[in-house]
Amino acid sequence: MSQGVYHPVLDPAKARPFPEAVLPVLRNPQLRKNVAHAIDVIQAKRGKLVVEKTDWQALRTAGAAIRTHALENLGAYLTQFEERCTAAGGVVHWAADAAEARQIILNLLREENASEVIKIKTMTSAEIQLNPFLEAAGVRTYETDLAEIILQLGEDEPSHIVVPALHVNRAQVREIFARRMGLKDLSDDPRELTNAARNYLRRKFLDIPTAISGANFLVAETGSVVVVESEGNGRMCLTLPRTMITLAGIEKVLPRFQDLEVMLQVLARSATGERMNPYTSIWTGVTPGDGPQKFHVVLLDNGRSSILAKKTERQTLKCIRCAACMNACPVYRQTGGHAYGSVYPGPIGAILTPQLMQMHHAQTLPFASSLCGACYEVCPVKINIPEVLLELRSQVVNQERREAGRLFDPMYLGLRIANLIFSRAWIFHTAQFFGRIGLGVFTRKDGWIHSLPSVGGKWTQTRDLRGLPKQTFHGWWAARAAKPSGEAK
Amino acid sequence: MSAPSKSRENILERVRAATKTVALPPAELAAAFASIPRDYIRRGGMTVTACHERFIERLREYDAEVVETTEEELPATIAAQLAGSGKHTFVAPAGLPAAWQAEGFEWKLDGGLSAAEIEKAEGVVTAAFCGVADSGTIVLHHSATEGRRVITLLPDWHLCVVYASQVVETLPEYFDRCGQTPGLATYISGPSATADIEMTRIKGVHGPRFLHVVLVRDSGQ
Repeated sequence: MSQGVYHPVLDPAKARPFPEAVLPVLRNPQLRKNVAHAIDVIQAKRGKLVVEKTDWQALRTAGAAIRTHALENLGAYLTQFEERCTAAGGVVHWAADAAEARQIILNLLREENASEVIKIKTMTSAEIQLNPFLEAAGVRTYETDLAEIILQLGEDEPSHIVVPALHVNRAQVREIFARRMGLKDLSDDPRELTNAARNYLRRKFLDIPTAISGANFLVAETGSVVVVESEGNGRMCLTLPRTMITLAGIEKVLPRFQDLEVMLQVLARSATGERMNPYTSIWTGVTPGDGPQKFHVVLLDNGRSSILAKKTERQTLKCIRCAACMNACPVYRQTGGHAYGSVYPGPIGAILTPQLMQMHHAQTLPFASSLCGACYEVCPVKINIPEVLLELRSQVVNQERREAGRLFDPMYLGLRIANLIFSRAWIFHTAQFFGRIGLGVFTRKDGWIHSLPSVGGKWTQTRDLRGLPKQTFHGWWAARAAKPSGEAK
Repeated sequence: MSAPSKSRENILERVRAATKTVALPPAELAAAFASIPRDYIRRGGMTVTACHERFIERLREYDAEVVETTEEELPATIAAQLAGSGKHTFVAPAGLPAAWQAEGFEWKLDGGLSAAEIEKAEGVVTAAFCGVADSGTIVLHHSATEGRRVITLLPDWHLCVVYASQVVETLPEYFDRCGQTPGLATYISGPSATADIEMTRIKGVHGPRFLHVVLVRDSGQ
């Protein structure tokens, strides 16, 4: 296998701007069909289960408050988690950035003499591009989540944070499995494909003594780690190996064990449209005789603490990675995940990715939204994504304005002129007079403008613009006042 | 790359600086936590019977098999379920009541069995800590009667005995029952499943493909 093949598509530092990256997707009807189908199924299931839950809004309010409280007091809860986890036999490591996290994990694997490692799906490991790094260092990585196997064997990238291979259909999965597992007679029945994955992994679960996981939650009160999953591959990785390494963002902390009563009620319903995911595993350090006897947690910052510092943006870190926002997003529904150029696509990705990049990359993502607010409405922890999108947009614009080359950029020039025009009534009326003459040149007989030059073309290339009416409001108002009856045409 | 201890201090310092204006002094943390609005449903309003019916209905919806029995009939019910499974070798957690280990089957009592030995078994019988009706969830805290995590994972067939008195309506009710927080816990809601291929739900990927629940009515019900 050649998992060392590196796919720059989901590296925000190298990805193309969203408006460019999206073009090949929009021209791929198969991919769009696959994405729309998957999303329609999840949305329908979620909708039914949310209606059934009469206290849904109260759960959202509590979920949001718990996450806010945890983040506002993150320092206290992180150190509490560290203390309790350590007391229970775990070893806590701290990684300031992706490079440090990768190195810590590699060092731990070297201590174990591990040449192979089994993995539970973790978006955080994709964020730090762990697999290509480990492969290059000679450690073979085996993803064990069905969707992740499809992607790893197909040398593809995740396009969704909960259902990462939703852009791949059964025929494509059959082709990948038949080729990579050497199963010529495989059919495209999902049951048979799933069974192929089960057989492919069974021995690896039993033989490979080292595993890597992410975490859905860390519990400060107990030092416990929580992983939710469906297939049982997570339980395999958490139970059978000798050594377990968990990689978790520092924001994943919950204050108390009992907070799970809120999070677990909203997470599966939001994520997969299930009342509860088939398996939830909770463990605390090391338990003699049960599961891995060596346990490491790597706490990753990688830009999170700088997000935490900003009042409006801080809420980004409340995210529990349910993906409800991408399922509800009209933009994601059309584009799928790859166009976002990040392992975190959709509305949450549009706010999280540029911030994790300290606003040095992915600046087009905050604009990849219609601001319709559907993401905010479905978010189980009430992240006001549109509010953060607007804040980031203003930061991007301010950043661009300061660039020297932008001084004569038609858009910024136009906006500066507009600023002047709107500042005085007489300038406005004068501009209006000349503007009407100017636009009149482009107005066709049908009263519409079909094409404008320069920056105006950005509007007319996708939609027409109505020509200006014959009379202005001011003109109409003046004419109305002049008539004694007060009626004007 | 900086030394690990240095990163710890750096990260914590950055986190503390970032939350300087909102973080509470340690003495006020508990009070602030207590004031988090929790207006969601804590206690369900169902009758005991309705709650048990809901539990059974939700388990079945996620492809679990459910049978009801009484304390007196329990050993016979377990024996019948085992016979019906067509399987012969079963793992029993260290503390499983002897009466549940029906005769005529091969039992492997778990006193630290290896994964290979457990994998050879065809099924497993355990007790549970709790059942949650609202989501059809079985809660294991991995006590001596519930077994180590691995024994309810490798065998393909899991029979779980839940007493009616262990069934609660809502998830918060389970958390109220916990008392001391468990170090290990597994929540099972239906058998292992995936919907990764075209959102088609497939039962049984890596965990047990068959989940059987025996619900034991308390006497007088």
